[in-house]
Amino acid sequence: MFWLIIKRIFSALIVLWIVATITFVLVRIVPGGPFDADKNLPPQIIANLKAKYHLDKSVSEQYVLYLARLAKGDLGVSYKYVNRSVNDILKDAFPVSCQLGLLGLVFAIVFGIALGTIAAVNRGSTLDTLAMIKVTLGISLPSFVIGALLIFVFGIQFKILPVGLWESPYHMILPALTLAASPAAYLARLTRSSILEIIQKDWVRTARCKGLSFWQTIIKHVLRNALVPIVTVLGPLTAILITGSFVVEFIYAIPGMGRFFITAVTNRDYDLIIGTTLVFGLILIIANTIVDIVYVMLNPKMQIEG
Amino acid sequence: MGASLVKALVNIFNKFIAFVFCLYLLTACTQIKPSFEKDTLRINIGSEPPSLDWHVAVDSTSFDVVSNLMTGLTQYRPDLSCAPACAKNWEVLDKGKRYIFHLREDIFWSDGKRLTAHDFCYGWLRMLNPNTAAQYAYFLYDIENAFEFNTGKIKDESLVGVKALDDNTLEVKLKKPAAYFINLTAICPSYPMRKDIIEKWQDKWTDVEHMVVNGPFLLSRWEHEYKIELSANPNYFEGKPKLKKIKMFMIPEQATAFALYENNQLDFIDNRSFATPDVYRYKSSPEYLNVPLLRNNYIGFNVLKMPFADARIRQAISMAIDRSIFPLILRRNELPTSSWIPPSLSGYSKNSGFVYDVNKAKSLLAQAGYPSGKNFPKVSLLFPTREDTKLVMEAIQDQLKRNLNINIELVNQEWKVYLATLRRDAPPMFRSSWGADYPDPETFMNLFTSYSGNNDTSWKNTQYDKLIERAEAEQNSKLRAVLYARADRLLCHDQAVIAPTYLSTQNAMVKPWVHGIALNALDLQFFKTVTIDNEFKSGDK
Amino acid sequence: MNNNAIELAHEVFAKANVCSSWQRPVSIGAIIWQQLLKTPVAMISFWIIFTLVLISLLSFLGLAITPYAFDQTSADILQGPSATHLMGTDELGRDLLSRIIYGSRLSISIGLITALTAFIIGTTYGAIAGFCGGKIDSLLMRGVDIAYSLPDLLVMILIGVLVGRGTQGILIALGLVSWMGTARLVRAELLQLQHEEFIDAAKTAGQNSVWIILKHLLPNAVGPIIVAVTFAVPSAILSESTLSFIGLGLSPPECSWGTLALDGWHSLRTHPHLIFFPSLFIFITVLSFNLFGDALRDAFDPKSRNL
Repeated sequence: MFWLIIKRIFSALIVLWIVATITFVLVRIVPGGPFDADKNLPPQIIANLKAKYHLDKSVSEQYVLYLARLAKGDLGVSYKYVNRSVNDILKDAFPVSCQLGLLGLVFAIVFGIALGTIAAVNRGSTLDTLAMIKVTLGISLPSFVIGALLIFVFGIQFKILPVGLWESPYHMILPALTLAASPAAYLARLTRSSILEIIQKDWVRTARCKGLSFWQTIIKHVLRNALVPIVTVLGPLTAILITGSFVVEFIYAIPGMGRFFITAVTNRDYDLIIGTTLVFGLILIIANTIVDIVYVMLNPKMQIEG
Repeated sequence: MGASLVKALVNIFNKFIAFVFCLYLLTACTQIKPSFEKDTLRINIGSEPPSLDWHVAVDSTSFDVVSNLMTGLTQYRPDLSCAPACAKNWEVLDKGKRYIFHLREDIFWSDGKRLTAHDFCYGWLRMLNPNTAAQYAYFLYDIENAFEFNTGKIKDESLVGVKALDDNTLEVKLKKPAAYFINLTAICPSYPMRKDIIEKWQDKWTDVEHMVVNGPFLLSRWEHEYKIELSANPNYFEGKPKLKKIKMFMIPEQATAFALYENNQLDFIDNRSFATPDVYRYKSSPEYLNVPLLRNNYIGFNVLKMPFADARIRQAISMAIDRSIFPLILRRNELPTSSWIPPSLSGYSKNSGFVYDVNKAKSLLAQAGYPSGKNFPKVSLLFPTREDTKLVMEAIQDQLKRNLNINIELVNQEWKVYLATLRRDAPPMFRSSWGADYPDPETFMNLFTSYSGNNDTSWKNTQYDKLIERAEAEQNSKLRAVLYARADRLLCHDQAVIAPTYLSTQNAMVKPWVHGIALNALDLQFFKTVTIDNEFKSGDK
Repeated sequence: MNNNAIELAHEVFAKANVCSSWQRPVSIGAIIWQQLLKTPVAMISFWIIFTLVLISLLSFLGLAITPYAFDQTSADILQGPSATHLMGTDELGRDLLSRIIYGSRLSISIGLITALTAFIIGTTYGAIAGFCGGKIDSLLMRGVDIAYSLPDLLVMILIGVLVGRGTQGILIALGLVSWMGTARLVRAELLQLQHEEFIDAAKTAGQNSVWIILKHLLPNAVGPIIVAVTFAVPSAILSESTLSFIGLGLSPPECSWGTLALDGWHSLRTHPHLIFFPSLFIFITVLSFNLFGDALRDAFDPKSRNL
């Protein structure tokens, strides 16, 4: 375990370096630059701007400069939000997305696994069908439609939950539900499918023969073994949820990090694009490492190299 | 063991029910709010202002905040003419080449220091300094040696034609007469700036605790990407505003902002909070306001690309577009127009553009060698994916197909890719728009000169250039209008380089307890005269 | 101890049973097909998918099965559903039903092809990682991490610029982002199955690796694979609208279900038909794929066959 983590830290650095390099190149070859605007600027002014942000240097020089700053933990400055560093922006925005994402993750896991288990246990019954319809709604409606529906029903018709903004814990409920809709559906389907797979294994029958009650068997034996695919999905899912969703933060006016994944790209805000990408990458690697460790805990026979 | 488990479960279940119930009560409480907050205006500015440094900012969101924090030499009246502000009066000398501004002596910055002509001088030089890398520095290029200083050709800032003769007198020398120059003294890039503050705090000077201003409101809170709060400035030279606080939320999604307005959590919303279908629902409400903006939309032709080298074909297309359809599909009372200068500016003439005439368009097309659209090449029309542009483009495509039997391929691109394409190699047809920086035809007409960086049509016409240069220097406003009208007709009718389509509008909703909101065609929002009726009862409606 | 031995015996016996069932002369495909024929839900969803595919094929061939042309404008703008326009009209007076039918051709084919890509690339990649394990697994999974981390939007804009608009661009873009989930799931399943007795048995019997993966490992991972693949369908249909937005997708006035939903959702409170009907079609399609996927999974599972 110890060596696994050490090796993972080492490989994480390499992965992040590769990601930073590819993104660094990508932002520079995509057409359109940070200072292209509705009103075209005179070339002299563009030259002043490029000089200010060292964009007048050759790409290799810029790359060396960037890596040198990155090594010090400095993610650079934003061209769009003048005088704000990427570190500052992410420091403000990440905690918000993280809180919301964790709540969304809890909703997704609770609803997803509960729905999936109920569907699997009552396979073929009306409950199973109802669960299936809910799941299908969760994935076939785009999240902006789900958000708009939730706002309409709870915010405007019944007025029991806030429409948007980020003021109190109640303001988290609708966004977290919107965030959780699609992942919950995915988890429910996976849970149902893997429980059905396991439930017919002979050792489950054996466990029941030993006198364990039905639900005890499900919780103690079945779920534990059905968890592998669920945990697999949870790795990237955690990273996606806690770094924020563009649509959800946009719809509910939440000052999170998710919106930068889109707006930084549309603004061609180079350092901010690489910054958000690296934060996402880092969290993804951590989450996936935890997933690999959990695999071994669930099934000690699984061997995972660092 | 089974029994205790059941007990524990029941216990948890009870707690859960209790929790949900409390949650419900609490949410019910948080939702029962007064319909308005005393002397507070709650609005939506849509997004984070990229910068509150008025020399660096370039976008309307930043300007909306800054123009309530600051006052320039002059300020706009509701009809957009320039009124004295920091300058009590000014003289125009040397046939429009030299301006002397006399400043009021009773204006103070929010930290108590007196505002002097040196602050203006410092501010303008800072704007022009290449190290500031101010994008709107070119607004000041009419000043003597400004361009040379900004591009680093001269290093000595004392050569630039702006000088504080004493604490109360500012002298500005222009390199050539510019009739529109006084408009520039009312807008953000020309606001004064404090040298000591900038030098002390540098990049951090726009932080809430450091920012020093001279306008009606002070910056009191800034939660990035979420909310800005302004509070009344007790030392404002026109008297402390009645409004104690302005809460500017940054709600990007229109439907959400609109829902917040409906729930009485916003007092005033505009286009940024208003999806088209909602405009449609509330058009007859007394809370609804609508004004035309100085923003014109057009289809441009690249005159170097076949078949648009032929002016007759450009004319035929401009003539075959029925512009009356745009207000029907966009539903915001858009003003159809076929000329480039908007009706509210001098130089507008009805005869500058075309009237919708399919038969004449057909015969022009036939003369150009494409009778009933036969053999007309499939040309592409580039547009950026933004809000309602797609519907407008589809309508134009449909009309040209039906009226002239020509096929247009619609090509949409992401905003920055679109800009890059337009500037590198504009396609035969493209959709674009232009919003006025100040209420003068110059801001529109300068666009299509051969030396303009925003002329994407590749059209170069010396006659047009000369007309514009003469109009810019002309001090007689009537003659100036005639010159601009002539240039407009050359642009939209004789040469038909562009086919203007419609003028955008500003749409807003104001709650009945808010008084004094005035919209203007430049889309600048000033809140210093706004008041809240604290006695308002919901029954009063 | 005793219990464990019984369990083990049971298990080995069961696996042996499974293995022997593969070797019957009747092909596995035939068994599965027979199994599917017996399940009414499977058949209903199969026929729905079949009809949708047929409709989209017909509109590919340009056969007029719609009441109006998809781009035919009229003065009846924003009408609700009526006898002349079963699903109402949009802002330019175009018939929504005709547009939905026209839109199915892109949405259905994109859904199917992306799901197939996700299945082929994802399964192969995941199977190699999971089966080989060790260093190769580690290397391949870091590759997935990198692919996950790169900013999608940027990559898609770039593909749009390089490939130009059109279906290939959409397919490449969606294919590129859809396989990672499947790969990780397959890899995890294989890592878990790797050390089951029947695999060891197959290995010691000297069976070829590809054979082991195809015949023994993948059939046991079929549940998660089907879930992942059926989920690729709706996410591809919906993501396509984002692609149109950045100019990689369709050229207006062409449309798809995704773009119809994206254009219509602001009208949720004023003209709900604009968002309701496109969403309904996506819903029915996704439901059919999921139900069919479930039935397929059951058919693959030898023990649920006798249920």
